[in-house]
Amino acid sequence: MSDPMAEIKASFFIECEELLESLQDALSDLDEGADDGETINVVFRAVHSIKGGAGAFGLDALVAFAHRFETVLDELRAGRLDLTPEAVKLFFQAADLLADEIHAAREGSREPEAAEECLQALEALLGDRGAAHRADAEDETEAADFQPMGLALDLDFDFTPEDASPASFTLQFRPDGALYASGNEPLQLLRALAEIAEVSIMTDASAVPPLDALDPEENHLSWTVQITGDVTEDEIREVFEFVEDVCQIDISSMPKSSETPLPEQPELESEPSGDTDEDEKFEPDAEANGPGPVDPAPPPTNEIAEIATEAPARTPDPGPAEQQAEAAKPSAAQPAASNTAPAAEPGATVRVDIERIDRLVNLVGELVINQAMLAQSVTEAGLPPNSAVNTGLEAFMMLTRDIQDSVMMIRAQPVKPLFQRMARIVREASSAIGKDVRLKTEGETTEVDKTVIERLADPLTHMIRNAVDHGLETPDMREAAGKPREGVVILSAHHRSGRVVIEVSDDGGGIDRKKVFEKAIEKGLVASDAQLSDSEIDNLLFLPGFSTADLVSALSGRGVGMDVVKSSIQSLGGRISITSEPGKGSCFSISLPLTLAVLDGMVVNVAGETLVVPLSSILETATLTSEDIRALGPSTNVIHLRGAFVPLFDLGAELGYRGPKRSYSGDVVLLTAQEDGARSALVVDSILEQRQVVIKGLQQSYGHIPGVAAATILGDGQIALILDPADLVQTASGNTRAIDISLAG
Amino acid sequence: MTALALPDRIDLATVRPLQASLQCVATEDVALDASSVTHFGALGLQLLLSAAKTARNAGHRFEIAERSEAFDSALTRFGVSLEDLQHLPDAEAPCH
Repeated sequence: MSDPMAEIKASFFIECEELLESLQDALSDLDEGADDGETINVVFRAVHSIKGGAGAFGLDALVAFAHRFETVLDELRAGRLDLTPEAVKLFFQAADLLADEIHAAREGSREPEAAEECLQALEALLGDRGAAHRADAEDETEAADFQPMGLALDLDFDFTPEDASPASFTLQFRPDGALYASGNEPLQLLRALAEIAEVSIMTDASAVPPLDALDPEENHLSWTVQITGDVTEDEIREVFEFVEDVCQIDISSMPKSSETPLPEQPELESEPSGDTDEDEKFEPDAEANGPGPVDPAPPPTNEIAEIATEAPARTPDPGPAEQQAEAAKPSAAQPAASNTAPAAEPGATVRVDIERIDRLVNLVGELVINQAMLAQSVTEAGLPPNSAVNTGLEAFMMLTRDIQDSVMMIRAQPVKPLFQRMARIVREASSAIGKDVRLKTEGETTEVDKTVIERLADPLTHMIRNAVDHGLETPDMREAAGKPREGVVILSAHHRSGRVVIEVSDDGGGIDRKKVFEKAIEKGLVASDAQLSDSEIDNLLFLPGFSTADLVSALSGRGVGMDVVKSSIQSLGGRISITSEPGKGSCFSISLPLTLAVLDGMVVNVAGETLVVPLSSILETATLTSEDIRALGPSTNVIHLRGAFVPLFDLGAELGYRGPKRSYSGDVVLLTAQEDGARSALVVDSILEQRQVVIKGLQQSYGHIPGVAAATILGDGQIALILDPADLVQTASGNTRAIDISLAG
Repeated sequence: MTALALPDRIDLATVRPLQASLQCVATEDVALDASSVTHFGALGLQLLLSAAKTARNAGHRFEIAERSEAFDSALTRFGVSLEDLQHLPDAEAPCH
């Protein structure tokens, strides 16, 4: 049985992600100087909504953190706190910790250790007010022990100030059943109200039927809340902002001067029914019952019966249970909808389980294969090209392609959340080593396959840390070089010829090639007399075990890094490259396929087998002549291509389909490039076609097969292996010379 | 007298099964143990109010014997007194 609360909770955490995203956006805006009220409101609302939701699920640690954060933001919103760069920095830090708190709440793990420290730093911004707010919050929780409601206490507390004419409102609040279904809880709303003003709360239980007639999931309660204090109607409405579609709220204000309800309250306590002044505004029964619950002296035991009989006369629209149930029904049909609204853009979106999308992607893959098979049979049937079947098939192929693209688009997600995570890495990394770093992001809306995004996080983190730690100079060095003390790291994403290019660049000192070269010699990675081009030296950074950092810092320099980055990017079908200019900075560029589900491949024939070579790895194709082939060692050949020598590999021999051939003259080679720029020539028997293939993973069934990336199904139903040329070449023997037995004999 | 322990959280997810176990208030005296309640939501309040009403109509004793801090705190916030949730015929205070 699925637990509805667990589902609602899961959707709360998804909403938290969205809220955190808008929080980060708004903080970035603040950081860039936008200190308008609306941006601050967005920040406040995001934290407030997270707190509200967390409260509904009893996530106390998260509520406590969000509450203290929110208190500081509230001061900012009220204009009582200056928005200094230090404050923004702290807000960013608190937002990061809020993300950690949410993570901890979701995973049930320990809350982050730095939380208290950060909150104290935040509260220090408020000076004495911070302490007062905390005291307030503590009183609020301690009041629970105390039998009467906090009213009397609050009065003493707030009535001492000389300002004696607080606003006064009466709030009628009746939730619909859908309010509960969407994970909200009146208790939290009432608590939130009590946080912003003094409240006297009274439950109207008149509509609650006996047990046998009760639908426990429908609401039959309503509340009358008398609100006094320094609070506006808007602030009250804000508490109910996210539930206004699933409840009925009526706020009426009371004139300030004609009545002084507050002094009446203590009197009411001693004499519950003897109220006079307020009868004009609150109906007599409301007042008579009102103090009952908040009265320290035990009221009559059958008071509830009194409420039950008298209440219908006093509330304007109490509504019998049936009416309420009816009212709740239409909104109950869309339980989660009400909760998705906070701070999100109004654009209509649907949340779909990723498994469903994957199933759709698989089905589309099957459709593509099926369409290829159909095309093949039509060709084999020898129908004329302009026949109805052929024209129909063409239209069908175009539709298939459109469907395929559209489905892939569903899996595509903007890189923005990933970039926001990187913003945090920059903040943490720069403060750890005392550099001033600003992260600029470009092309955040660029969309990439969800899996690619997930698997990019680790390599990007590494690269960002490297840029901050190694790429940028210290502030003093920058100043000496005539640059601003604050370094800039730019993270950008854009589409380029069917691939996604993500770049991490910095305005630091560039790669110190001399140092890199010396380090590589010292580590025995290259020969001391090796002649390397600039780009070859840059590429040394990707060698396993390479690190130029003289000291191992907290961030990097342990010699694991860029080689791991490179292999992660390669496993995504991507490439990574470096450009660097001394004194001006470096740029690491990652090029990735848009999706992991289909790829453009070249279909080739090798020893009677059909294979697919990813088009992205092929530089060019050529037909060999005997002059092109040069022997190198006893069993290997290289080919001479435009002044360069490229090792020759025989795919048939490497894959074990046959032995090396006697002569490769007249054979076709595919010239492939590896990520490090090294090239190799793969011999195939013939090239069949170039087409898009659907990737079918082999990993699950066969594990990693050297040289083979995956498989696909061709139009004729045949299964073809998709090769991974870079991997193949790494493990290849390079044996392209048949042993001539006749000569030996 | 039947003793019933309330679950930790009384909310949308738990009110229906709890309603079933509370049906006995119509036929016998019941004492609830709310000492382990960590979350007492409005639907829980409604259910206990309904149970108290049922017990009152049937003339049975309905008592909340043990209470947790969270339970009391929620009651306070709802503006409901403990007496609203109980029916204690023998200890009935005189009406005024």
